[in-house]
This record gives sequence, structure tokens and C-alpha cells, in this order.
Amino acid sequence: MASHSKNNTYLKKSFFYPRALRFAPIIITIIILTTLPLYASSYIVFVAAIALLYAMVAAGYDVLLGYTGQLSFCQGAFYGIGAYLSAILTVNYGWSFWQAMPISVLFVGLVSAIIGYPALRLRGAYFAVTTFFLAHFVYLIFLNEVSLTGGPLGFRGLRPPEPIGPLSFESMTNGYLLILFSFIIIYALLRKFVNSNVGLILKSIEQDDILAESMGINTAAYKLLSFVISAIVAGYAGTMFAHFFRLLHPTTFSWFLSEMVVIITLVGGVGTLIGPVLGAGIVTFILEFLRFAPEIRYIGWAIALIAILMFEPKGLMGLIKRVGVK
Amino acid sequence: MSEKKRLGKKSIAIVIIAVIVVVIGSVLGWYFMMAPAAPRVIKIGYSAPFTGPAAEFGTNGWRGISIALEEINARGVYIKGEKYTVEVVRYDDRCEPTEGVAAVKKLILEDKVIAILGSHCSSVCMAIAPLCDENRIAGITIECAADAVTSPGHEYYFRMRPSMGLMAPLITPVIIDKLKPSKIGFLAINDDYGRSFVESFKKNFEGYGVSTVVEQYFERGATDFYPYLTAIKAAKPDIVFYVGVTPEGALILKQAKELGLIPEVKFIGSEEMGEYELVSLAGKEAVAGTYAISLWAPKPEIKELASKVKEKFNAPMHYAIVFGYDALHVLVKAIEMAQSLDPATIKDALKKLEYEGLQGHIKFESFEYGGKLFVNQGRWTPYLIRWTGEGEKELIGP
Amino acid sequence: MIDTIVLTQLLNGFILGLIYGLMAIGLTMIWSVTDLPDFSQGGIYIISAYVAYWTIILLNVPYFLAIPIGALAGILLSVAFERIVYNRLRPSGVLSCLLAAIALFFLLENVANALWTPKAKIMSVPETEVSLNLFGIVTSYHRIIIFIISVLLFIFVHLFIKYTKIGMAMRAVAEDREIAALMGVDTSKVYIATWALGGALTSVAAILISPLYAVWPGMGTLPLLKALVVVILGGFGSIIGALIGGLILGLIETFGAIYVSAAYQHGFAFILLLLTLSLRPKGLFGRR
Repeated sequence: MASHSKNNTYLKKSFFYPRALRFAPIIITIIILTTLPLYASSYIVFVAAIALLYAMVAAGYDVLLGYTGQLSFCQGAFYGIGAYLSAILTVNYGWSFWQAMPISVLFVGLVSAIIGYPALRLRGAYFAVTTFFLAHFVYLIFLNEVSLTGGPLGFRGLRPPEPIGPLSFESMTNGYLLILFSFIIIYALLRKFVNSNVGLILKSIEQDDILAESMGINTAAYKLLSFVISAIVAGYAGTMFAHFFRLLHPTTFSWFLSEMVVIITLVGGVGTLIGPVLGAGIVTFILEFLRFAPEIRYIGWAIALIAILMFEPKGLMGLIKRVGVK
Repeated sequence: MSEKKRLGKKSIAIVIIAVIVVVIGSVLGWYFMMAPAAPRVIKIGYSAPFTGPAAEFGTNGWRGISIALEEINARGVYIKGEKYTVEVVRYDDRCEPTEGVAAVKKLILEDKVIAILGSHCSSVCMAIAPLCDENRIAGITIECAADAVTSPGHEYYFRMRPSMGLMAPLITPVIIDKLKPSKIGFLAINDDYGRSFVESFKKNFEGYGVSTVVEQYFERGATDFYPYLTAIKAAKPDIVFYVGVTPEGALILKQAKELGLIPEVKFIGSEEMGEYELVSLAGKEAVAGTYAISLWAPKPEIKELASKVKEKFNAPMHYAIVFGYDALHVLVKAIEMAQSLDPATIKDALKKLEYEGLQGHIKFESFEYGGKLFVNQGRWTPYLIRWTGEGEKELIGP
Repeated sequence: MIDTIVLTQLLNGFILGLIYGLMAIGLTMIWSVTDLPDFSQGGIYIISAYVAYWTIILLNVPYFLAIPIGALAGILLSVAFERIVYNRLRPSGVLSCLLAAIALFFLLENVANALWTPKAKIMSVPETEVSLNLFGIVTSYHRIIIFIISVLLFIFVHLFIKYTKIGMAMRAVAEDREIAALMGVDTSKVYIATWALGGALTSVAAILISPLYAVWPGMGTLPLLKALVVVILGGFGSIIGALIGGLILGLIETFGAIYVSAAYQHGFAFILLLLTLSLRPKGLFGRR
């Protein structure tokens, strides 16, 4: 059996899959996504933009969950902090997006480092519970500190990012392209990161963190690193969201968001980085498709989720690997 | 590294077939969704929360719309002599702005509706109103209460019911006249509706020299009101406004009674508390003697609608039903007035129309009030009712 | 003379704490025996409350009978999840099981949502709603009922764990699974028993508190999280810890809601969690 498959892959590698072709799906996808506004309605562009934001958060999250093995539920909180801080800085203090965004992202990083430092010393489930609470606590702040965030009355008046030269980001199309562009850059950076030596260390922590510790690796520091990275990515996505959608409301940043990120990552395939991105696309597609059946939308969804967990815990990527592609 | 067995050829075939079926199914589904209306069908869109904590509003709004739809299609809509039927496409927005935007975009761009009804939550309404202007398609909100929805307002977005900022000035003099309070308190749900309610009533009562001595907010789904009621008891107001949905209201009344607040302190409920559901949840005893602001008075037409709702859906009456019912009728009347399916013409018709709805006299006006400019806003006076010991509503004012 | 309001809140906080404690006992047992913090208990909480609600409404069953019926539903669901889902995923590791538990919670919540709408339902039990005036404290019979049933359950669980064969097997597995298996303990039977007991406790907690609060699909999330905090506070695997931890949280939450902030009342559990994890991660009575 084993030699049979080895032969196959060998053949596939040399005859049918010259290295360049491996990039084909990626390039085709990028072309399709970039030209989307040309042939698709602004409804689809809007949905695609939101899906890309989810994909961004999920990819960052995968670094934490898939590569470092830490289950956390507070991506929504970091997304929200990035969004609200950027909103406050630009609307209340007149900053430009290009100043507010890096500061917001840095702030999110700082917050995640401060929280992560003690929290990551906890073992798996304790950490997960803590992040659950954190997400809810941050949500309560968004909801109650009305003078700061507008609370349930919403935070309006956000402007798109200031134009770079002649390129304005006012239109749906340009806003979408900015998100797409950032997503590609961030994904490439994350990909490089997980393939680097640091990524290998993270993987060793995911496999067996006690063993890694005993081999002299400062697991706490690396866990913190991946936590902060995932938080920063989420925070950045949050700032993008704020200036794209231009209306912030606490309900957007509730548990549901964090839940969705976890589910997307699961469905796509934990630990593969591309998996969660695909997962974002699939989940968004299915939910939009089922929009006409409001009552059963989420049930069908939950059942599919359970089925996935039971039959293919490695998500879509696992399914793909099993069927023998790539 | 676990050795996962390679799926046998059969399984691969099944997977591939499944994928093909799903893809074809979705494409077909998408195609049918996108198909423009068959000739002589007027397509209208409806975005509302059908899941999530605000789901009852969408569900009830939909009930009202369905009943109105039946009535309308029974007689048909005549435009330039041709008979049309109406179709309403509904999507769930979960009371969340990004969902609302996606839903409305889909309705306008894919389903090609000529008008929008929705939504129920102010946060969503604020997000979709600009879309109506952008796409030049008229939208009527069903029940969003926050002022900001029509102030400064949008040319293409309409509201029938008075907003929170308008409700308070209309009903406050009635309350002061009949109940003569000197100090008031609030126990409200912590969302846009609750906060707008408190904000505007507080201001209006201040104008009459009545001060607010305590303000408490609770989360949606909260069930333990003892801490809040304890704080309220300590502040000793004459009247307490309690703002939320009926299950919360029922619990508030029961717990307030337990703490001895009722009947010393007069409890006035927000619009939901003027619904019969409150009586069925809390029991006649608990509600007897308490007050509520009602968005419809016990008129005979309402009773008729209520029995239809009971018959068709086996559900209690709710003001969202009334609003949904009125909204569709108003929209269809505008279409008939316009004698055209052109959205801009319909919008103009809406601006000029007057309609005797179940809620009150509906007319969309643009005016200034309290330093704010309102556009396309209705302003009939709500009602103050008191619950009798038999679970019936007694009209106190105006 | 202490202010009656303080006394009333003391009583309320105490009763709330008992409920948290009940649920926490179930969770801590499941966690220590099977290594899984069972998030799906949040879903069990919801479903059992609804089952009790519907048996009362549709079948006119008295409240006290609805409790065991709801508990039965909880037991069946918990055991079913173990046999069908967790059993299969166990070889893939704890993370998979945890994710599955969360997914099951999500599923149950959405099922409740779709079947019974998100609007809260009030479980009315006229027999126990009778107001009671104890030394100036206004309360209801219901709270006394909660007290009695909780205490009985605690005693039952304690005796069960200590003196029955299954109870001892559970403790053995909690100590060390491999050695217990080597000594001939049938781990799968132990798992079933643990889940049955845990599911029962969660269900009873839910049904006991329902007449005071409301029954709605989202009712499980916060109790689950707080029960987890109590488990950590009380000490992993400790039943006494769960009880005491529950009481502490109940009291802090109740008084915090009045004297500090009602809006952030659910944040006290978080603060308690942070304090526990930084000052005494083993919890009050923890062994591991």
C-alpha cells in the first residue's frame, strides 16, 4: 500500500505537476477575486469583502490553534478593539486612517501580550475558558461604555481610509480591493512565518508542549508570540472592517463572531493555514445561499459541523488530502 | 503520523457526486433567486430578524405582512388596468448591521425588488437606510425606534411610527396629567431601543420639572432583576418605566411585586407591555393596575386582526404584526397611487400619501423637532393604557 | 440589625450559589474522570429545562415530577453524546473532543432556537411561588425548595462517590486511568455513569432555577461558563470545592451586582477566574 502511494506521488510530482503548476490554483483564484467587481454585483462584492475579513482573522487564528495548539475564543474581542479604537481615533480625534490603523493594531498587540502573558501559562481548557470570558467582558465594555463606543446606539460617521494619491477608497470596489490586497499580503507573511524555523518550533509545541519544554524551548514565550500574532491580525482586520462598513455596533462583535472564526477554522482544516481561508469562503457561501430559509439556516449549519467533526476532523483540507489530491 | 486509509474508489465517486449535486443545486437555487419577477408580479423585499434574540419581531412582522399579503392578492393590485400580484421575499438579518446590509443588497441587486420593508432593529435600519438612497429604492422601516433612523434622514427611507424622540413629547403630557409624578425611574434593556427610550423620556420629563432619580439597564435575556429593583426601591421614584420585551416585563412585574414595589410605585411599560402576551406570561394578578404605552388602542379592527392571527398562526397579538400589516398596505397603496413600478415614482407617492392604519393616522412628513430634522417620519400619538384585573386594557389617555 | 435588603441578597446569593455548585459538581466529575471539560453540558442545561417546561405545559405534570423527567432527558443526551461522539473522537485527542463538545452545545442551542423560538418562556409554578416572610426577608417557597433539593443531591452524590462500587471506580479512573484499567475497572461503564450523573446534575440545576429566571435558547451559555469558573475555583475534581466555589461565586455576583455594577455582573466570574488562576491555580481544594 505504502509503496503504491509513494510511486503515485513521485509520478505526480514529476509528470503531471511541474512545480509551477502548483501555483496555478492560487493565481487563478487571485485573478478571479481581483476582477470580481467587474462582473459581480455589489452584493457579492460586499459578501466577498466580509468573507475575506473572516478569512484573515481565521488564518491568524490558525497560527494559534493549528500551529501552536492553543484553543482560544477571543478573536472577536481583538477584532472589535481594533475596529472601535480606529473609529474613535479617526472620528473623535480627527486622525487619518493611516495613522490610526497602526496604532490600533499595536494597541491590540499590547493588550493581547498583557493578557496572554499570564493566561498562556494555563493548560488548554483553562485557557480556553479564560478567553471565552475575556471575549464576553470586552463585549460588555463595547455595550456599556456608551460615551466611548456609542454602545447600542452605534458608532457612526466613520470615513473610508484617506486616499493614497489619486486612489480613493470610498467606493465599494476600492474598499474591497484594499481588503483583498491586505489579505494577500498578510496571508503571504503568515505563510512565511509558519514555514520558518519559528513555525517549526510552534509545531513542536502543538505536538507535545511538555516535551518541547524539556528540550529547552521556552514554550511560554512562543505561545505568547503566536497569541499576539493572531490578535494583531484580528485587530488589523477589525480596522479594515470599521472603515469599510462604517457603522460599528456591539452585536457585530458578540460571541457569534468568535464562534464563527473557530468554526471556519475547523471546517477548513486546522493547521493548514489555507484551510481556514477556504473555510471562510465555504461558510459564507453556504450561509448566504441559505438566506432564504432563515429558521433552518443555523441548524443545518450546526449539523454539518458535527458531521465534519465526527467524520473528518481535519476539515476540508483533510478531505482533500484523503482523496489524494496534491 | 496516523495512517488514514485512502478512500476507496466508491467513496471518492460518492464524494464527487455529492459535490456536483451541491454545486448544481446552489447554482440553480441562485439562478431562481435571481430570476426577475414573472410578469405581473410585484416583488417586495423584507429584511428582519428571524433568528437571534430579536427573532420574535421578525416573526411577528412577517405574520402581519402575510395576512396583508393575502388580502392584497385576493383583490389584486391594478396598475394601468393590468392586474398584479405581490410577492414578498424575506431574509434574516439577525438584528445585526452587516447581515442587514448583505440581505438588502441581495434583495435589491439579485432579487430585484422594487421596494424594501425592514428592518426592526435600529442598528440595522441605520445601516440599510443609506442603501435605499444609493440604489434609489424606497424602504419603509417596520418599527425601528431610534431617532437617528430618520434624522437627519434619507430621501428614500420612511418610518410610520413616531420615533422615540417623538413618542416621548407626545405622551409625556398625558402621563403627567393623569398620574402626576414628581420623581421617575427607569429599568430598561441595554440596547439601542432601551437607551433611546430612556434618553428621550428623561429629557421630556425634565422639561416638566420631573427629575429622574434612578436609571438601570439590563442585558437582553436577563432574568434576575432583583439587583436592579433593589436599587430602584432605594431611590423611591413615583413612577418606574420598564422597557423591554414581554418575558422580561413579566419577570420584572413579578419580582417587583415580591419586593413590595407594586402597587406603591406605578409601573409603566414600554410598547411591548401593552400586549396581551404580558398577561398570559405574568398572570392577570401581576399586571393588574400597571400601565403601559400602547401603540394601538383597543379598536375593533385590531380585534379582527388578532383573531385572524390566532386562527392562522395560533399566536398572540403583537404590535410588530400591526406594523407589518400596515407597512405592506401602505406600500401597496403608494404603488397604486403611483400607478407605476418605478421605484422613484413610488417614493414620491409615499411622500404624498395618507393612510388610516391600524396604528393611527399614517402620514410621512419632514419637520424639525427638538433641534433635529426629521425626514419621512410619521407622528401619531401613542396611547396610555392600564391593565384591568380581568386582563383587559383600559384606555387612560389621550 | 442588619438591613433586610442585605439579608435578602444574602439568601438569594446563597441559593444562586447552590445552583452553580450543582452544575459545577457535574462538570468537575466529568472533567476529572474523562479529561474533557464538557461544554455540551451548556446545551443539556437548555434542553432539559425545555423538556421540563413542555411536560408541565402539555402534559400537566406537576413541577416535582417534571424535574426527574427533565433530568432523564439530560441523562439520555449526555450518555448519547458520549457513546456516539466523544467515544469516536477520543483517539484524536482532547482538543477534538473539546471542539465537538462546543459544536454540540452550538447545535442544541440552535435546535432549541428553531423549535421553540428565541422568545423566553416563563415556567410558572404557582405552588411554590407563594411569598414567604422570614424574619423580614421576603422570599418564596421556591428558594427553600431549591435549598432542600440541592442539599439532598449533594449528600447523595457524596455518598454515591464514597460508598458505591461505581463511585469508587469513578474516583479510581479520575486518579489514574491506566492503572484503574489495569486493575480491571471497566472504563466505558465508568464513563457512562459519570456522564449520566453529570447530565442529571446539570439538568436539575437548570430546572430548579427556571421558575425564577426564564427558559430561552440562550440560557445555557453564562451558567456553563460560570460553572467552569467554579470548577477551577473549587479545585479540579473536588466536589466540596465545587459546592463552596459555587457559593462564593453566587454571593459575590449577587452583592457585586447591587453594590458595584449591575451591568457588569457577569464580569465578576471573570475576575474571580483571573484571581484564582494567578493566586491559587489549583483552586481551593484541588488535588492536581
